[in-house]
Amino acid sequence: MDLLKKIRILADAAKYDVSCSSSGSDRENKNSGIGNASFYGICHSWSEDGRCISLLKILFTNICIYNCSYCVNRCSNDVERALFTPEELADITINFYRRNYIEGLFLSSAVYKSPDYTMELLIKTVKKLREEYNFNGYIHLKAIPGADVNLIRLAGLYADRMSVNIELPSEKSLKLLAPQKTKESIIKPMSFIHNQLMEKSESKKLMRRTDKFVPAGQTTQLIIGATPESDRTILKLSENLYKYYDLKRVYYSAYIPVFNDNNILGMTSPPLLREHRLYQADWLLRYYNFKADELLTEEEPNFDVSLDPKINWAMKNLNLFPVEVNTADYNMLLRVPGIGLRTANRIVKARKAAYLNYDSLKKLGVVLKRAKYFITCNGKYYGECEIETDKIKNKLLPKRNVIEGQLSIFDIDNTLNNLPIIV
Amino acid sequence: MVNYIFDGTFDGLMTVIYEAYYSHQHPNDIFSEINHQINFLGHDVFVSTDIDKSNKVQHAIETKISNKALRNIYYAYLSELESSYMLIYRYIRLGFKIGKKIDYFIQNDIVHEVTKLSQKVRHEAYKMIELIRFKEVKKGLFIAKIHPDYNVLPIIMPHFAERFQDQYFIIHDEKRNLSAVYDKKAWIITDIPLQDISNMKDTEDYEILWKMYHKSISIEERKNLRLQRQHMPKKYWDMLTEKQ
Ligand code: SF4
Repeated sequence: MDLLKKIRILADAAKYDVSCSSSGSDRENKNSGIGNASFYGICHSWSEDGRCISLLKILFTNICIYNCSYCVNRCSNDVERALFTPEELADITINFYRRNYIEGLFLSSAVYKSPDYTMELLIKTVKKLREEYNFNGYIHLKAIPGADVNLIRLAGLYADRMSVNIELPSEKSLKLLAPQKTKESIIKPMSFIHNQLMEKSESKKLMRRTDKFVPAGQTTQLIIGATPESDRTILKLSENLYKYYDLKRVYYSAYIPVFNDNNILGMTSPPLLREHRLYQADWLLRYYNFKADELLTEEEPNFDVSLDPKINWAMKNLNLFPVEVNTADYNMLLRVPGIGLRTANRIVKARKAAYLNYDSLKKLGVVLKRAKYFITCNGKYYGECEIETDKIKNKLLPKRNVIEGQLSIFDIDNTLNNLPIIV
Repeated sequence: MVNYIFDGTFDGLMTVIYEAYYSHQHPNDIFSEINHQINFLGHDVFVSTDIDKSNKVQHAIETKISNKALRNIYYAYLSELESSYMLIYRYIRLGFKIGKKIDYFIQNDIVHEVTKLSQKVRHEAYKMIELIRFKEVKKGLFIAKIHPDYNVLPIIMPHFAERFQDQYFIIHDEKRNLSAVYDKKAWIITDIPLQDISNMKDTEDYEILWKMYHKSISIEERKNLRLQRQHMPKKYWDMLTEKQ
């Protein structure tokens, strides 16, 4: 089978994995070889769906012994199959890299013959890249569920990042849709990687140099909307993954019903807007010091998709507003809709140089359209309506009717689709 | 009040700053000789570039103002906008007055303008780092062509030289007729014309594979061309293999 056909089949089969980030590693170009990793990651292209292409994201093979019902590659599905050799894949990676198409390789695979056998093939490929081609670019490797931990350890010495996809947000759903996988086969590699990382950071203090084990840490992916879990269940799961496993990122992938299956909840179009709200909320957890419980409650376990989660939170906590931008502490500034991380930093610095007036806020990057309802500047309120939920909400709701899925007319300024450059 | 004319180089501009300070002759305007017609009314002063004076000014900016300020000045200069020279002069004056605080003083108009300009240049340099496409025109020799709005070659070369240490490559700026050449040891930027650069082609095999990859990785149900264009502006499409 020719390479062109393999690329067509195996890129197509890999496209539902949303992670493509190349961040978190600052691997250097050693011994005058080829490549290095940029800590903040670099995108090199954008596909027609607007998603960033940073890595050559591809499956080693889509021939699978398992039959997970949410997945196109399940063995009972009638699709074209293909299989690379380690040589072919290493050669394509290097030649794409030399032309500045990509930052590196994101290699995943269906379960071919057995989890261990598949893991060995992936390791062979990346070993070739690192040792024969002297390649120091970014490598993200998938840990195949059920593979031996010794193989995972070995893989981690070549990779910058590893991921184990949880896919389904509850054990019940996993049993239902992916009966051949167990919760254990997912959690075990994840906690193994976590423990290795902890150990390495301990031993780094003792020795000057240790082999780097997945320097960019690990990530996972959850499928949104294929099973009935609420936003709250999903967000609490993410919160725990960040807390206990120190994950770098949890990715959310709106389920795209590519075929009919009785297990699936009769969905017709992917819940893109819901996915977008979860990303925003995830962002609030990681960088804005929010807790999942502050954002969603048992009584209201799902986001109002028409509102940004931060605005949603502010609406419910109007008693805390307005805040005075010249004096409010950093954490409170962060909670103001329309003030982001960078803007909050700038405000804190700028107000040391001079008192801030309303005009200067714009130069600092404050989105006044949203922020003005929640702040005062030198004691003056500019929100041209009273601080009441309904009135503000009225002003902040988008005027146009937003059809679920049409993200392009909605607030894409939140850089959701360009996340890789921000870690 | 005089008009200062310099040779268009960064060292030249820094020499102007030096002269303006030591002669106490504040500029009415600053021009690069490349764009400027000599004015016979006699207010023009031509400043010849002096590396020592330039270094002194740069050193003073770094120590008395900040590293960040020096970088902002350099990037604003690379915008090649005729208006940037006076802006830079005013920024430096302000900097010598208020020092390091200038980094936070974004509400000031001069600081705001310089920062904005510097950000635009940096942004385009970053876009080039993302979007440059090399072609292997001869075994082991890679060439990329660009036509950026700003003169970003000096910003992006360190990145590529570090990354592609084992590969001969040239990045050619078609708009300015400049070529950055790397020979596995060091890089230079030169305006010496390169032979036949226009009709050199890649072997194509990998270009075809890349186009196929690019098409297959996109999800039809999520199609969003507007978003794609936002990140990959149309003005750069002719550089992109996947858009050919
Ligand atoms: S094991 Fe992976 S590739 Fe195979 S069916 Fe399940 S999800 Fe799909």
